[in-house]
Amino acid sequence: MGSYLLRRVLLMVPVLVGTTFVIYAAVYALPGDPVQSLAGPGHVVTPATAAAIRAHYHLDDPFLVQYWHYVTGLAHGDFGIDLNNTPVSAVITASWPITVKLAALTWVIEAVAGIALGCLAALRAGRPSDLAVLGGSSLILGVPYFITAYVAQNLLGVKLGWFPVSGTDAGWPLSYLVPALCLALLGVPEISRLTRASILENLGADFVVTATAKGLSGTRVLLRHVLRTSLVPVVSMLGTNLGYLLSGTILIEGIFNLPGLGYQVFQSVQQHDGPTVVGISTLLVLVFLFVNLVVDLLYGVLDPRIRLD
Amino acid sequence: MALCAVGALAAVSACGGGGTQAGGATADGGSYSIGVPTWYIAHLTPGRAGFSGVADAIWTPLTQVDRSGKVVDAVARSVRSTDQRHWTITLKSGWKFQNGEPVTAQSFADSWNAAAYAPNTMANGYLFAGIEGYAALNPPDGKPTTDKLSGVRVTGTDTLEVTLTRPLSTFPYVLAGTAFAPMPKAAFKNLAGYDRLPIGNGPYQVAAPGLAPGGQQITLKRFDGYPGAKGHAAQITVKTYQTDATAFTSFRSGAVDIATASGNDLSTASRTYAAQLVTSPTAAVEYLGFPLWDRRFADLRVRQAFSLAIDRKAIVDSLLQGHAQPAAGIAPDVIAGGGGTDCAACGYDPARARQLLAAAGGWHGSLTLWTKQEPESQTVLEAIVNQLRTNLGITSISLKVQPTDQIYPNLLAHKTTGPFLLYMGAAYPNIYSQDDQLFGSSSGTNVTGYKSAGFDALMDKAAAATTTADGLRFARQAGRTAMADLPLAPLYYPVSGAVHAKRLSGVRLGYLGDVDLSSVTVR
Repeated sequence: MGSYLLRRVLLMVPVLVGTTFVIYAAVYALPGDPVQSLAGPGHVVTPATAAAIRAHYHLDDPFLVQYWHYVTGLAHGDFGIDLNNTPVSAVITASWPITVKLAALTWVIEAVAGIALGCLAALRAGRPSDLAVLGGSSLILGVPYFITAYVAQNLLGVKLGWFPVSGTDAGWPLSYLVPALCLALLGVPEISRLTRASILENLGADFVVTATAKGLSGTRVLLRHVLRTSLVPVVSMLGTNLGYLLSGTILIEGIFNLPGLGYQVFQSVQQHDGPTVVGISTLLVLVFLFVNLVVDLLYGVLDPRIRLD
Repeated sequence: MALCAVGALAAVSACGGGGTQAGGATADGGSYSIGVPTWYIAHLTPGRAGFSGVADAIWTPLTQVDRSGKVVDAVARSVRSTDQRHWTITLKSGWKFQNGEPVTAQSFADSWNAAAYAPNTMANGYLFAGIEGYAALNPPDGKPTTDKLSGVRVTGTDTLEVTLTRPLSTFPYVLAGTAFAPMPKAAFKNLAGYDRLPIGNGPYQVAAPGLAPGGQQITLKRFDGYPGAKGHAAQITVKTYQTDATAFTSFRSGAVDIATASGNDLSTASRTYAAQLVTSPTAAVEYLGFPLWDRRFADLRVRQAFSLAIDRKAIVDSLLQGHAQPAAGIAPDVIAGGGGTDCAACGYDPARARQLLAAAGGWHGSLTLWTKQEPESQTVLEAIVNQLRTNLGITSISLKVQPTDQIYPNLLAHKTTGPFLLYMGAAYPNIYSQDDQLFGSSSGTNVTGYKSAGFDALMDKAAAATTTADGLRFARQAGRTAMADLPLAPLYYPVSGAVHAKRLSGVRLGYLGDVDLSSVTVR
């Protein structure tokens, strides 16, 4: 277990270096000139001003040198300075609680709704409620989630006035509820389908038959034996879903004006604010790697047959 | 005084400074919130801030533009020149910054020097290019050897002498820009901190802690030591949104009290909130520019044909649902010298358009039209493509879209391969500004590559004119000269709109479509 953990953590280093490199290169390759976008359209940038901006952000150095500057800073916990002269770490500090609140709420909704619907469908396999879950999830998967978001915003926020439509003024969880619901729609169909399939598979498994033969009650068999085993792939999917979820926040936070990490990334991409884009993306990659590790560790807890070493 | 009357009607006692501050928590005048685009508060230093209603609330420059588009003295007692090149500016007494420091001639000089000094990388620094000594602060390479504009001399606590590189009769208009606002001594101890929590000299001050990193709102408090017309509301919350549309949705749900509305939202607003909608033509023009470096557009008749083939009224009426005015010049009448009908080829005459094109040899090959990445521009350009196809019989037309910070450099480098749909707003409310930006040979926004000795001579005359009337006359003549050559075809003047909550009144839009924050009254 200990050596497994060490190996996984060590493996994170090349992955992290590789992803920051790719993101950095992608931002570097973005069309448009950061100096010009900093000045704004139609503004004249004098050579001296341009030179000062370039020197400040090492823009004249070759790409690899720029990247080296960045990575060595990162190793010291320095995320660099954004184009507004604010430390990127300050932007991250201000934004992450918002994204964490949104992600946590979304995750809970995904897990609860997904697993509940999956159980329902599995236990009523072939009957109308199963078909309803199947049909409903196909429908949801077919509609891009940002369209759902605009519709939900207009219906629940503007027309009915039940929820705040934007900003964080109403606090947690009220301000985050509709955005989280919209974002959860990304994961619920998959999780419910996986749960359904997994339960159906296990219902006929030998260990379930044995447990029932031992005279255990139906509920006990279902909860202790079927569900516990069936949730192993679901937990892993919930883990990978967090990755999609974090990228989903980029659009959802924009639509609902939540100033989280996604919102900042969206804005920074538009402004060619490379340091912020790379800084926040790196952080998201780090979170993703960490969650994956936790998920893999959870395997062992949920299913004793899986050994980590 | 007119402002005070409005305030009195609404039972606001703050006007004239004699307001009674009874009640503690709820200060006189109430509070409201406004939704604005993010860039409005991204920077709050005069040299970095864009032109916005928020900047206008925080600072008062030497001059201001009044509601009729005329330039009036604000902090300045007088702005005078005999040759339009050497200007003497005297200040009114009794003006203070929001930290109590008196506003002096030195406060202006310090602020201007900081903005023009290249290593400070202030986006508005280029606006000081007309002042002598700017070149020394912005050398082609290396660090500048001085950080003071030689053309700005402080000759007393309340007098300032400014020397321009060449005459400019509209200099008082230029001075009304946010970039020309003063900064107090405290600003220079920490310019980065000042950008987040500025100390201004306007009717409103930014309340601590200012703009937090990654934050999206600031609070403005009325500055009670303001010697000009005081703000009506005691407190304003400025919230930022990534797009106009998000701000408008928030308004509809009651989350903000004022939001600007554009495009489709403006149509929705005029149907749903007719009584709460304020609109005003913007001092700007949407135009189709011609790439004069492209030989296919060298013939004037081709350019005329393109212009005559576009049905401006149809675009305005159906596509923009009336929220624009068909243009026959480069600026509407909301600015001094605007509203002229200088463009003879701005009518709609498809038959003549076809004739002209045929006379010029017809059109051969394919045509690409360009615009910036923005929904409304794209929709309008699609309509133009259809009209050119139908009216000129050009069959192979395609359309290309680029982000704003790409299309301008590409145009200036002559890399763009066809006409382009763009927007140009007047830098200050005088036709001279619009002429210069669109057609001036040294302008960074003259994207058609137009050069005309006749135009330049008239602009020089306008710049050197000793009276405002003469200045306007020559600037309008210059505009007519350029329009006769038709380097671009004006299409329409956009209309800007703002919706406001029922409990607010006195919502007014400035010449660039910005809400005047201090005149808004809370009922």
